[in-house]
Amino acid sequence: MLLFLAAGGSTLALSAGLYALIVLAIGGDAEARRVATGNAMLGAIVVAAGFGALWWRLTADLKRRTAAMAEETQLIARANPRHALDPAHYAEFAPVPQAVNELAAKLRDAREESDRRAARSTRQIAEQKAWLEAILSDLSEGVVVCNMNHQVLLYNQAALKLLHVSGELGLGRSLFKLVTRQPVLHALELLTFRLRTQGPPPPDLATVPVVCASTDAKALLRARTGLILDEKRDPTGYVLTFSDVTQEIATLGKRDTLLNAATEGMRAPLANLRAAVETVAAYPSMPAEQRASFDQVIVRESNALSEKLEQIATGYRELVAGSWPMAPIYSLDLQNCVVQRASEDRGVSLVGLPVWLYGDSFGLMLALTALLGHVRRHVGGGAIDLCTAPGQKRHYLDFAWDGAPIPSAEIDRWMSDPLDAASGLTLRDVLDRHRSEMWSQSLGAGRAILRLPIAAAEQPGLAGESGRLPPRPEFYDFALMHQSLPTASLGDRPLKSLSYVVFDTETTGLDAARGDEIVQIAGVRIVNGRILTGETFERIVDPGRPIPSASVTFHGITDAMVKGKPPIQVVLPQFRSFVADSVLVAHNAAFDLSFLKPKELESGVALGNPVLDSQLLAAHVFENIDDNSLDGLAHRLGIEIEGRHTALGDAMMTAAVFLRLVELLETRGVHTLNQAIELSNVAVELRRHAARH
Amino acid sequence: MARSVLVVDDEPNIVLSLEFLMRQAGYDVRVARDGESALKAIEDDPPALVLLDVMMPKRDGFDVCQVIRANPKWNDVRIVLLTAKGRDIEREKGMALGADDYITKPFSTRDVMQKVKQMLPPGG
Repeated sequence: MLLFLAAGGSTLALSAGLYALIVLAIGGDAEARRVATGNAMLGAIVVAAGFGALWWRLTADLKRRTAAMAEETQLIARANPRHALDPAHYAEFAPVPQAVNELAAKLRDAREESDRRAARSTRQIAEQKAWLEAILSDLSEGVVVCNMNHQVLLYNQAALKLLHVSGELGLGRSLFKLVTRQPVLHALELLTFRLRTQGPPPPDLATVPVVCASTDAKALLRARTGLILDEKRDPTGYVLTFSDVTQEIATLGKRDTLLNAATEGMRAPLANLRAAVETVAAYPSMPAEQRASFDQVIVRESNALSEKLEQIATGYRELVAGSWPMAPIYSLDLQNCVVQRASEDRGVSLVGLPVWLYGDSFGLMLALTALLGHVRRHVGGGAIDLCTAPGQKRHYLDFAWDGAPIPSAEIDRWMSDPLDAASGLTLRDVLDRHRSEMWSQSLGAGRAILRLPIAAAEQPGLAGESGRLPPRPEFYDFALMHQSLPTASLGDRPLKSLSYVVFDTETTGLDAARGDEIVQIAGVRIVNGRILTGETFERIVDPGRPIPSASVTFHGITDAMVKGKPPIQVVLPQFRSFVADSVLVAHNAAFDLSFLKPKELESGVALGNPVLDSQLLAAHVFENIDDNSLDGLAHRLGIEIEGRHTALGDAMMTAAVFLRLVELLETRGVHTLNQAIELSNVAVELRRHAARH
Repeated sequence: MARSVLVVDDEPNIVLSLEFLMRQAGYDVRVARDGESALKAIEDDPPALVLLDVMMPKRDGFDVCQVIRANPKWNDVRIVLLTAKGRDIEREKGMALGADDYITKPFSTRDVMQKVKQMLPPGG
C-alpha cells in the first residue's frame, strides 16, 4: 500500500518537476507554457490513474488470497486437520502458511489422540454396560436403583418378577407404588445418619438389611439397601437388592408351630398316661372297678398321644424340604451337568420333558454323578436313560436301563460313601436334605429304573405369567403346508418309529412378508417315542432389525441379546444339519415355515423334510374343541407348562403334546407318516375352503 | 399256609401284642427278629401274610420286601409294612417295592387286626 502511495506521489512530483523544466525551457512564451502545462497535467493524471488501477487490482487480489488462506485455515481448524496450505500458492505470505501447516499437524495429532482416547473410553463404557446388563439380568435377586425422590432409575427382570409387575416397571415411577414405604425410608434414614456422622462407611456397613412387602401383599421381600454417593460424597440415590422370602418365612413359621406342638402339646397326654401306668404298676391289687377306670385312661391317653404325633408328622411332611438352602433347579441343567462330569458319557441319553425341582443343586449333582457310576457298573455296557418323570408334589429323576432292578441292600451300601472329598457329603446326607428316599424297581418288559424323587418347584418367576400372554394367532399360508407324500419307505413307517425334530421359532413379529424376522430357533429330537432332552438345538439369531417391545414381552429377547449373534443365513445351515433326515414337527408349522422358507436360497440349504403340524393333528383329534393352542392342548393333555415362550421351552412342550397326539391318532386309525400327512392336507384344504367363504 | 402269618420285627414289645392278638384270632403265627431270619422262615414255609417292620438289623424291610417280590414262587405272599418311617415318600417307596399295604407306628392294634382279617378272611 505504502509502496503504491509512494509510487503515486513520485509520479505527481515527477510531473511537477517535468512541468518546471518545460517552463524554464520555454521561457516567457505564455501560450507555449499553457500548452506545456496542460500536457504535463494530462500526462500526470494518466500516469496516476494507471498507478491507481494497478493499486486497486493488486489490493483486490491480495484481499481474495487472504480470504482464501483464512478459509483454508478454518477448514483445517473445523473440519479437516489433514488439509495443508500450499506455501508456493501463498508465497507472498511466507512464513505464515508454513506456520499454519505446523499448527495443523499439531492439531491433527492432538485430535487423533483425543479420538483414540474417546474410542477407548466408549469401548470401555460399552463393555462395562454389557457386563452390568449381563450381571443384572442373570441375578436371581431383584435390583432397583432410585434417586433420592424414590423414583425408579434402573431395574432388572428379576425385580419385575418378584414385584409381580407385568410389562414395564416404568422409569421415573415411585418405588413406593411397588414396595411398602416405611421399612425402606427407615433404612435410608439409618444410612444417611451414618454418612452424616461417620462419613462414607466401610463396605460391610455400606448397606443395611430391610424386610418389606410388595404393595400387592403377595410377597415378603428380604432386601438390602445402600446409598449411591456423588463426588462430593453426598447421596444422589440408592440401590435396593431383594429376594422373595415368603416361602422361607412361611416354612420357618410352620416349623416353629410344629416344634411347639411336639414339645408343649404332648406333655399333657404323656403326663396322664405316665401317672396312670405308674399307679397301676404300684398297686397291682387295686379293686377291679378302679382298675377299669385306669385302663380307660391308659387307652384314651395312648390314643390322644398317637393322634397328636400323627398331626405333627403330617405337618412335618408338608414342609417339602429340610432346612438346607434350596432353590428352583431346571432338571435339564442338572442332567447336562451330570453327563458332562461323568468321564464316560457314552451311552447316556437324556429323556423326558424337563421339570422344575426344588433342591440343592450342588448336592444333587454330586449324588446323580455318583449314582450314574453305580448304575453303569450294574448295567455293564448297556445304554442308560437319564429320565425325568413329572409327579404331583414330587418329580422323579430316574435312571432307566434294560435289565433287573438293583437290590435294595446294594443301594443301602452306597449311602455312606463320600460323594466328593472336599464336601464329605454322602448320598444319605443328600437324601436327608431333600427329605427323600431312593429305590430301584421293575417297569416290566425287562426294564428297570433307579428312582430319586425330588420336591417339585414352581417355575421361578413365571408362575401364572404365561397365562397372561395371548397365544400366537393361528397362521396358515396354505401353500406352505400342503405337502406331497414322502416315498413309501418313509411314508409307510409307523409314526412311533420315526425320528423327529420338534422345533419352534421366536420372531420380531407375526408377518414375515412385511419384514419380521427370526430372533431365536430351537429344536429337540424325538427318537422311538422318547424326547431326548440331551439333544437340543438352540440359537439366538440377529434379525438385522430392531425388536419391537411388544414382541420382547413374549420371548424376552432384546436388541442387546441379539447383538453379535449370527444371522439366520448362518444359523439355518446349522439347524439343517441338526435336523438331518428327521421329520419336522412344529405347532402351527406354517408360521415358522413362513419365516424359514424365504431364507433357504440365501442360506444355501433347503428344508425338504416332511413336516407335521401338531395344531392340524390336534384339530383332527379334538374335532369339536376350538382351542388347539399349545397352552390349551398342554392343559387338556395334562402336560405341565414350564419354560413356555422360549423357543426351546415351546419346542419341548410341542414334543410332549405331539407324542400324546400320536397315541390318540392311533386310536383313530392313523398309524403312518403318510396317513398323518394326508390328514394334515385335508385339514389345510378345509381351512383354505373356510378362508375363501 | 392260608391262615399263616409271619411277624417280623426286632422290637419285642410290639411283637408281644401282635403275636398274642393273632393267636387269639386263630392265625398260625411265627416270629422273626430280623430280615435274614425272615427270609429263611419264608424259604422254609411261605406264609400267607408277612407283617414286616422296615428298620431292622441285617436286612431291612424294604430289602426283604424286594426279595420276596423278585421270586415268582412267592407271588401269593401278602406283605404289610409296619413301620415308624411315617413319611409319604417312604410309603411310596414301600408300595413301589411291592408291599400290599403300609401301616405307620404308632398304630391301633384294632386297625392292624382288621387289615389282616381283610387280607386273610377267617373262612379263607
